[in-house]
Amino acid sequence: MIGLILEFRDIHKSFGEKKVLTGLSFRAEGGKAFGLLGRNGAGKTTSIRILMGVFPADSGEVLIDGKPIDYKRVGLGYLPEERGLYPKKKIIDQLVYFAELKGMRAADAVSACDRWLRRLEMTEYRDKRLDVLSKGNQQKIQLVTALAHDPDIIILDEPFSGLDPVNAMLLKDVVKEEIARGKIVLFSSHQMSYIEEFCDSIAIINKGEVAITGDLAEIKRDYPRDRLALRSAQSAAIAAAFPGRTELAENGELILRLGDPGEKMAVMKKLSESFDIDEVRVFEPSLNDIFVEYAGD
Amino acid sequence: MGQFWKILKFELKGYLHNKVFVGITVFLVVVLALVLFFPRLMDVLGGDDSDSPEPAGERDVMLLKGGDERALAAFTEAFPEYEVRLEDGDVQSPVTAGDAACAVELASLTSFTYLVDNLSIYDNNAQRVSEVLTDLYRLTALSEAGVPAEEVERIMTTEPTFEVRSLGVDQGQNFFYTYIMIFALYMVILLYGQMVATNVATEKSSRAMELLVTSARPTSMMFGKVLASGIAGLTQIVCVFGSALLFYHLNASFWAGNEIMGLFFDMPVSLLVYMIVFFILGFFIYAFLYGAIGSTASKLEDINTAVMPVTLIFIAGFMVVVFGMSSGSVDNPLMVACSYIPFTSPMAMFTRIAMSHPAGWEIVLSVGILAASCVGIGVLAAKIYRVGVLLYGSKPKLGDILKTLKKA
Repeated sequence: MIGLILEFRDIHKSFGEKKVLTGLSFRAEGGKAFGLLGRNGAGKTTSIRILMGVFPADSGEVLIDGKPIDYKRVGLGYLPEERGLYPKKKIIDQLVYFAELKGMRAADAVSACDRWLRRLEMTEYRDKRLDVLSKGNQQKIQLVTALAHDPDIIILDEPFSGLDPVNAMLLKDVVKEEIARGKIVLFSSHQMSYIEEFCDSIAIINKGEVAITGDLAEIKRDYPRDRLALRSAQSAAIAAAFPGRTELAENGELILRLGDPGEKMAVMKKLSESFDIDEVRVFEPSLNDIFVEYAGD
Repeated sequence: MGQFWKILKFELKGYLHNKVFVGITVFLVVVLALVLFFPRLMDVLGGDDSDSPEPAGERDVMLLKGGDERALAAFTEAFPEYEVRLEDGDVQSPVTAGDAACAVELASLTSFTYLVDNLSIYDNNAQRVSEVLTDLYRLTALSEAGVPAEEVERIMTTEPTFEVRSLGVDQGQNFFYTYIMIFALYMVILLYGQMVATNVATEKSSRAMELLVTSARPTSMMFGKVLASGIAGLTQIVCVFGSALLFYHLNASFWAGNEIMGLFFDMPVSLLVYMIVFFILGFFIYAFLYGAIGSTASKLEDINTAVMPVTLIFIAGFMVVVFGMSSGSVDNPLMVACSYIPFTSPMAMFTRIAMSHPAGWEIVLSVGILAASCVGIGVLAAKIYRVGVLLYGSKPKLGDILKTLKKA
C-alpha cells in the first residue's frame, strides 16, 4: 500500500452546542510525515478520532486515494497523547491483545510484538508487568501497540514527550524507517523542532479549521519577505533609528520589519553605511514563528 | 464478532488469573468441605463418644418454690435439661448469684412467677411452666371431680391426629433454598456488577481506553466484558454450589435425619432450571447497567457514588422480596408487580415460582419482559459506554449523557 493519499475534506463536527471542527481539510501523502499542529483544544484529537473511526464526522469525508476510508483495508496505528495500558498485566499479553484487536492472528501477533520489543530494546521486559517499568520504557511499550500490526497510517501524538535523548534517537530512527516504507505518519506535537525535522507537510488547525496547510518549505518560502534579521553590537542604536519596527529575537538577532519588501536593498545599504553590522539577511521564519502567527488568537 | 471473542477471552483470563477471585472461590469450597465433612470427621476422630447422651451432673439448676412432690415430678419430666430442686426459702438470691439458672415461684396451680437473671430472647420457660401447671391443674380438678384415674389419664393424653396436605407448594420447605438463591443472586450481582464497573473505570483512568476505543467497537467491548464477568460469576457459583452438593451427597448418610440440610439440598430440578434462567438474565441486566455507569466515571473514586442509584433499586427489590417471603404472602400486589419489572423480576418471580404457583403465562411473560429488557439495556448500555468512555474531567450529568445519546 505504498503511496497512499489521505485526505480530510471539509470535515465538520460538533459536540452539543460546541463546534469543534468547522470545515477541516488537508491532505497527507504516504512516504512522508505530516505535522498536525494546533493549540490545545484546536481540534487535533477530534480530527484523529474521526480518522480512527471512533465517531463519525457530522459532514465531510475522510478519503484514502479519493475513496471513503475502508477500515477493513486500511490499518491505523495510534500512539495517543494520554498514554496508558493495563498496569497490572503482563506486557506481552497486552501487546498481543491489542495486536489481535487490530485483526492479527494470535501467532502473528506474538512474533510481531517480539520483533518490535527487540527493535526497541525491550525484550528483557517481555514477561514483566507494565507498572514495574519507567515512564519512558512504558512509552516504548505503548509505541509497540501503534506499530505491531504494521498499519498503513501511523498517528503519533506527542511521541517524544518523556523520552530521554537516547530513546528519542531510537524513536527517530524507527519513525524514519516507517516513513521510508511508504507509511503515512501523522505527527501531532507542540515540540516544533521535531516537526521541522520530520515533517514535509503540515497543517495548523485553529478554532476547528485549517489556518494554513501545505509543504513546509514552500510555506516558509511563501512567507512575506518583509523582515531582516541582523546581528550587530549596535542593536540599541539601530532600534532607535527604526522606531517601532524592530524586535529582539530569542537568539539575539534583531528583527527589522520593512515597510515594503521592495525597500530591502535601500535599508540594507543604509544599515551598512550607518552602523557596524556583523550579519544581515532576509528573515526566514521558523516553524515556531509560523505556528505563533497562525495558531494564535 | 472476532473482536468480541478476543475481548471475552482477554477479560476472562483476567478474572481467572486474579488471585483474589481464585482465592475466594477456593476458600468458600474449603469452608463448605469442612462444614459438610464435619460429621464424618467427628465420627472418625471421636469414635463412640457420639453415642453417649449429654453428660449428667452439669445441668443448670431450676428452683421450684411452693410445689409438692407431684409438681417436682412433673417439672423434672418437662424440663429434662434442668436439675429441678424444691426450695422453700429465698429463690431470688441463688438466681441473682448464679447458683441457679432460674426459679419458679408457685402461688397456686394457676398462678406463678418465673425468675431469671437475664431473660434471653430464646427463653420460653415461662410458657412451658404454664403448660405443665395447666396439665397439673386439670389433673387435680378431674381427680377431685371424681373421674376415675384411667379416665383422667385417657383424657389428658388424647390428642387429635392430623395431616397437612399442601395443594400448592410447601413454603416452609422451599423457604430455605429460595432464600439462599435470592441471597446468592444478590451477592453475585452486586459483586460482579461492581467488578464490571470498576474494570471499565480502571481502563478509563489508566487511559488504556484511549487505545481501546480506537481498536475495538464499543459494543464488542461492552458485551465482551459483561459476558466475561458473567461467565466468571457463574463459574464461581457452579464451583461453590456444585462442590456443596457433591460434599453433601458424599456425606449424605451422616446428614440423614438433619432436616435443615435436607431442606437445603432437596431442590427440585425444575426450580434449579428457573434459578439458572433468572440468574443469567438478572445478572446481565445489572452488569450492563454497571458497565455503562462505569464508563461515565473518570476516576475510580467516582464509581461508588455513580453506581449508587442502581444499587439502591436492586436493594429495594431485594427487600420487597425478602419481606414477601418472610410474611408468606409472596403473591401480594407488590410482589406481583415486581415480578414483571425487569430489575426486580429475577428475584420476585423466582420467589413466586418457588413459594407459590403463578400461572404458566405469568412466568413466560416475566421471562419474556426480562429477556427483551436485557437486550434493550445491553444496546443502551453500549451506547452510553461509547459516549461515556470518551468523557473525561468533571463527572458527566445524566442530562448530558442523554443528550449525547440522542445523537449517537
